[in-house]
Amino acid sequence: MSDIGKVRLRIPSSIKPGDVVQARALVIHPMERIERDAQGKIVPKNYNYINKVIVTYLGKTVATFDTTQSVAENPFFTFTFRATDPGQLKVQFLDTTGGRYEGTVDIKFS
Amino acid sequence: MTDRRVSRRTVLATLGVLGAAAAGGLAAAPDTGWAQALGQNESVEDALKRLFGGKPMKDGAASVKLDVPLIAENGAVVPVSVTVDSPMTPTNYVKYIYVVADKNRIPVVTRVTLAPEAGRAFMGANIRLGESGDVRAVVEQSDGTLLVVKREVKVTVGGCGG
Repeated sequence: MSDIGKVRLRIPSSIKPGDVVQARALVIHPMERIERDAQGKIVPKNYNYINKVIVTYLGKTVATFDTTQSVAENPFFTFTFRATDPGQLKVQFLDTTGGRYEGTVDIKFS
Repeated sequence: MTDRRVSRRTVLATLGVLGAAAAGGLAAAPDTGWAQALGQNESVEDALKRLFGGKPMKDGAASVKLDVPLIAENGAVVPVSVTVDSPMTPTNYVKYIYVVADKNRIPVVTRVTLAPEAGRAFMGANIRLGESGDVRAVVEQSDGTLLVVKREVKVTVGGCGG
């Protein structure tokens, strides 16, 4: 489980200025589901799942995903942004145990 | 009399803050309280009422495209994407995209907040589906209009467990 929090970001190989770019972010995370006991009652505990994903480009927030336990394990998220200037695209994942995982990629024009 | 009322209010406010702190105490992250409120065990009607307060929803079939498989072999991983026809200018853009799975015990799957910088109103994610049922995408535009589309998905093996 040491892989938790590994983030992979994918962007198209060639980006032109002004393009609307579609990017994919994947994070390795268990996204724990609700557990129930024999009586069908929910086991109360702090389930470890990602509840926020923040995408920033050039320091500006482009998209925020507020997620619940209905999102799959090792989730990937797709989003778009308008590539105006070369700079950093950053995706942050926050989970319910206070974990913070992030991945960055530099946007360059070719 | 006035003093008294103010002090009572202050006490109540303090209690409220304490209560919220206790509720969020389990997790250290500051945003957890709200996120947990987003995903609750409830029926889809309750969820929609809680999120949108009974505001009228228009059929968004013309501008909202919800992409889900017709048959999901494995309910644990179902790719979903939503594209909205929107100019995405600072005055007219898509503010939120909600994905709601009707039959899930936690019906609200995700809420995506978009900024005009996104360039296109689009989101994609892998979600879980407990059983066959409708998946809805609810789009809230910057002027407050709500658009909804839904598609039925048949799930062979449920993926929500509890």
